[in-house]
Formats: sequence, C-alpha cells, structure tokens
Amino acid sequence: MKMKPLYAGLFGIIVIGILLVGWRVLAGSYRFQGSLIDPPAPAADFTLTDQNGQPFRLSDQRGKVTLLFFGYTHCTDVCPITLASFTKIHEQLGKQADNVRFVFITVDPERDTIQQMHDHLAKFDPAIIGLTGSPSELGPVWKDYGVFLDPHHGVGVENYDVDHSSRIYAIDTQSNWRLTYPAEMDWQTIAEDVAHLLN
Amino acid sequence: MKTDITPYLERLLITVLISLVIVGFINEGAYLLQKEKTDRPPKTIQLVIPAGTAARVAAGESTPSIPEKMVFVTGDVLEVKNEDSSAHQLGPVWVPAGTTGRLELREPNKYTYSCSFAPSRFLGLDVRQPTTLGTRLAGMALSAPPMAAFIFIYGLLVFPIKSGKKEGLKQV
Repeated sequence: MKMKPLYAGLFGIIVIGILLVGWRVLAGSYRFQGSLIDPPAPAADFTLTDQNGQPFRLSDQRGKVTLLFFGYTHCTDVCPITLASFTKIHEQLGKQADNVRFVFITVDPERDTIQQMHDHLAKFDPAIIGLTGSPSELGPVWKDYGVFLDPHHGVGVENYDVDHSSRIYAIDTQSNWRLTYPAEMDWQTIAEDVAHLLN
Repeated sequence: MKTDITPYLERLLITVLISLVIVGFINEGAYLLQKEKTDRPPKTIQLVIPAGTAARVAAGESTPSIPEKMVFVTGDVLEVKNEDSSAHQLGPVWVPAGTTGRLELREPNKYTYSCSFAPSRFLGLDVRQPTTLGTRLAGMALSAPPMAAFIFIYGLLVFPIKSGKKEGLKQV
C-alpha cells in the first residue's frame, strides 16, 4: 500500500493539531466553577451549638475546608436537596472528606432545637454538623453572611415556611471566604472545587 | 497484488473540499440570516458597587443603576467589584466588602436572583448559547463528514474509478 507525501503530510498536521489541543486542555490551570471571591476575605467567625449540644467555633476549623449552608429542618424545598448534595459530596471526596466540614446553620431557631437538628440530620449524613442557637446568637451570623430570611408565621400558624437565601459558602483552609455557589449548582461541580481547595 | 489507493484518496480529498465549500455556504448563509446581538465571543462584564451603596439603600436613595434583566452568553464572566463597606449580592454573585466576586456563566438558562440593591430587589439573568466562529466551525466539522461521505459514495457510483488508472486521466 502506497501513500503520497502529500497525504502523509496532511495526516501529520492533523495528529499535531490534536496533540496541541490536548496539551492546551490538560495544561490549563484549574478554574473554580463557583463564584470566586478575590482576594479571599476572612470569614466572619462565630460560635454556635451543634446537634450534640457541643459548641462549634468556625475558627477552630482552620486547616479544613468548610461548606456552609443556611436553612431549616422543616423546609421541603432547597434545604433537603442541599443536605443530600452534602452527602453526595462527602461520598465523592472519599478520604479527602476527612478535611471537609459540612455545616448547616438554622434560619428557624424557634423550631430547630438541638434535638430537632439531631433527629433531622440523622436522616442524611452523620458528617453534617447542624448548628443552632438563640436568635441573639444567630442574628449576627446571619448578618455577617448576608442571609436573607422571612418567616411566614402568624398567630396559630405552626407549619410555617421561611423564605431564605440559599447559597452555599466554601471557606478555605485559611478560614477565608473563597467561593459561593447558587443553590442550583450541581454537587459534582462543588466536589471538584473543594478537592482543588484542599490541594 | 498491490492495491494503489492513491486515486481513492485523491477523490476523497476533493470530495472533502467540495463538502466544506457547500457546508460553509449553507451554514454561513443560515448564520447571516438568523444573527443575533448575543452572537459574540464570551467576555468579562464588570459591575462596580460604589462605596456608600448600603447606606443609600437604607436611606431610600438612588442606587447604582443596573438593568433588571441582563443578557449574557455562555462563557461570560460576571465580575462584581464591591467598593462598599458591607457585603452585597448581585444575582448569583455574593461579594464581601472590599473584594471582587467572579462567576463564569457556563450553562444557558434563564435565572431570577435576588439583588441587594436593585430597585425591585430581583435581577433576571438570561444566559444564551452564542453562535461564535468556534461554534460555526464546529457545525461545519459535524456536517461536512456526512456530506463528504454522501458525495464520495455518489461519485463512486456515477463516476467509478477505473482500476490501474490515475484519477483525472482520460482513459483511452
């Protein structure tokens, strides 16, 4: 079988082109897929109570990546979806997840007692830390993290909803706000970013 | 027995070139007829939140004007520079004071987000898939091979290559 130099040349150009594109793709630096905060800003510190009644201080988590979400246990919408995403991210990261804290902070302290947080989070992943506190303890945290919340309760209303912001915050190993994610961001993307934050 | 595939390769090369020309005309013609303003390459769109914005919002004064609906193309980077002393949210980008929030808009979709300083408190983002040179070339790359295959097979049936003869030479 013969092949003219012209065709050999064309074949060579195609191979070189594919190699160049492949090199460009592989060599490119990683670009975070969440909303990047630049320069990273020190995350506001707080101390709240976890679902086991123990104090949890954010600044004690230095050296670990913290994924943080504000919600409430009676939520039937974005909160259970986000908690399920946390569970999947935990699984996806495998051994690396030992250096990740998954934190859920209530926007409904009236109903989200320590026991309620404990019972609710037991349905998801034991790695998720549920934090609650008094309104006076939580108020500054909501303010620092720009959390919007609007409870729809009135006299005699027990099963009320709370409208609230639903972003996920990624706090890096230096306790800096580094990334935020809108609620609709898929968990695989967040897991990928977290793995790079850990590296 | 040695098989000389050169005439076939020559025919194939010519067919591919003809296909590229035909597909190019069709694709570019359709593109020119349907072209939109968002048919542009992705770029960085920067918005600045000036110092004192939160205070002006609290006082009910005018705030930086941004359209309530913004149209982007996939790959655009929405960059929000916060020069104010408190955190702000503009759509999916939450920006602590004194920093810049940057988000690449990757998926075409229509979103409605809250905005900490828009008059309506809501912001609509329309992220569209642009038709760029890259997508047009990709379209050509996808449509040219089947066109080439069709013309090649058609050509073999209508103008068969005579064995032992060079393509393009007249048979005596």
